Amino acid sequence: MKRVQELLAEIGLEPERVEMFNMSAAMAATFVEAATEMNQRIENLGPNPLRVPQTAGKGA
Amino acid sequence: MIVGEQKPLDEIKGLIGDAENVLVMGCGTCVTVCFAGGAREAATVATSLRMSTKLDGAPKQITEATVQRQCEWEYLEEVSAAVEGADAVVSLGCGVGVQAIAEKFTDAWVVPGLNTSFMGIPVEQGVWEERCAACGECVLGITAGICPIARCSKSLLNGPCGGSEDGHCEVDPETPCAWQLIHDRLNHMDRLEVLMNPQPPKNWKASRDGGPRRIVRDDLRRAAEQEE
Amino acid sequence: MVAEAPTRKEALLSGSNLERVLRAGHFAVTAELGPPQSAEADVIREKAEYLKGTCDAVNITDNQTAIVRMSSIGAGTLVLAAGLEPVIQMTCRDRNRLAIQADLLGAYALGMNNLLCLSGDHQRFGNHPTAKNVYDIDSVQLIQMVAEMRDEKVFQCGDAFDGQEPRFFVGAAAAPFADPVEYRPYRLAKKVAAGADFFQTQLIYDVPAFAGYMEKVRELGLHEKSFILAGVGPLKSPGMARYMVNNVPGLLVPDELIERMTEAGAEWAGKSKDELTPEDKKARAAAWKAEGIQICIELIEQIREIEGVAGVHIMAIEWEEAVRPIVEGANLLPRPTFEEASA
Repeated sequence: MKRVQELLAEIGLEPERVEMFNMSAAMAATFVEAATEMNQRIENLGPNPLRVPQTAGKGA
Repeated sequence: MIVGEQKPLDEIKGLIGDAENVLVMGCGTCVTVCFAGGAREAATVATSLRMSTKLDGAPKQITEATVQRQCEWEYLEEVSAAVEGADAVVSLGCGVGVQAIAEKFTDAWVVPGLNTSFMGIPVEQGVWEERCAACGECVLGITAGICPIARCSKSLLNGPCGGSEDGHCEVDPETPCAWQLIHDRLNHMDRLEVLMNPQPPKNWKASRDGGPRRIVRDDLRRAAEQEE
Repeated sequence: MVAEAPTRKEALLSGSNLERVLRAGHFAVTAELGPPQSAEADVIREKAEYLKGTCDAVNITDNQTAIVRMSSIGAGTLVLAAGLEPVIQMTCRDRNRLAIQADLLGAYALGMNNLLCLSGDHQRFGNHPTAKNVYDIDSVQLIQMVAEMRDEKVFQCGDAFDGQEPRFFVGAAAAPFADPVEYRPYRLAKKVAAGADFFQTQLIYDVPAFAGYMEKVRELGLHEKSFILAGVGPLKSPGMARYMVNNVPGLLVPDELIERMTEAGAEWAGKSKDELTPEDKKARAAAWKAEGIQICIELIEQIREIEGVAGVHIMAIEWEEAVRPIVEGANLLPRPTFEEASA
């Protein structure tokens, strides 16, 4: 996971776009918490610049 | 095996320059087993370059291919078309691979994607250490199978110097002192007397110091001629 | 003092003052002079002035700790002119066999005839860590090469000299407490076999440990085939002592000596840096230095009692002024002199 984050940083994307959370299938509350956090994080970062038709440039 | 380490992506991008069509070429031998330049790494580098150049606002056409051995011309045959269609080739092979591509394809602009580090061994998962310096005149027979040329920081033939401590080289506490290892192994084999005689100066002519090296085997050449 | 010994000890090999002192059976004294990191000749002259008359020869280091300094042979010329005999240090780190031989021909032609053969500190520690090292030959091979230049009158390649051969009194380093400790006396034997005439050891502070080493050296008969000068040096402060214990491989400093150094500064102990006036600091440094010199004198007296020790090598790093009081305190003055005689 750390390697993927490093790769993203090298490419020019925010490494915090990926994260791994460990939990069991029974941990519903933890799952919701993680999903909310990631959702919040992505919203703050904005859409993946690679998917936006006109690229906004590095470090968007 | 030959052990290499991938160059930073930014450096690779700098080497590619303004080439539009880029071929990332992996090698299926040494650098595959040290996880530096095999098919998997070629795919990662290609994808990274695709994403990164797109982010930069100037997306490049990146393709990838991996051959069994970049260091033999006949294996490069199968990628002729891909190489010739590319403005630049990023070789993830060792330095031999990069040069084999340059020699085979007169018009190909080939750049290294790896730094070729050394000839060595995986000592644990994710850790490689140098073992051979290809000095051309092997001394392992008098050093209990442990190479002081590659593994002593000063390549001493009459070690150890006064700089080892607790079995480690003064240059780096992570590096075992080669001469401590040699001493201990000779002791274990009950052959410490080997350490008593001064070893004469080495013939470095057999090493790189004698200029680029070449081996000619007449028996093999004759056999090839007869086949023809 | 030194027993009549066979082989190498008999004929005068180089005719150097150091060799004469040792062969005459005197307890020899060598010191050390570190060249400056500049082309400033006066630094050498000044240091030579401190050392003149205190020792039989003075080592001139060769890019010590891999920091570029005025060359050993260049500084040696200045030392000779100042009336002191140099011991040229030569490492295998910076020169290949061609350069070493060429430089030694020059050194001998300039009047230098003592040589200390070293492998050299790795460049990783110096001020040019990205440099390429040489290590064409190692210290043992260097010893052998210069001994053969003198005794067989040949270059390393086997070609004979056309004219005067360089005749050096060949020295080597010994690290009695470096790892693997049990091999160290045998390493000395290897250097003797290669042709070393004299040795200067790493700094000795632990006399009983050194006596143990010398016992093994005597068992091997090495004290009769070569002259062994024990390395000593004055401690400057308790901090320096602790630093050396922790950072210099193969150096033992007994706790008792560190305690004595600490005790010497007791008057100022317990005060923080800011509480100490510049005068306090000066007085404390003087007290430490006085104790360091006293300890060094006592070490020499103890080491002198060990059979097979032919002299001392005093390493007062960047503190050349300390040599005179040490030598004086150890009753080693005046140094012997010889009539100008043919070698």
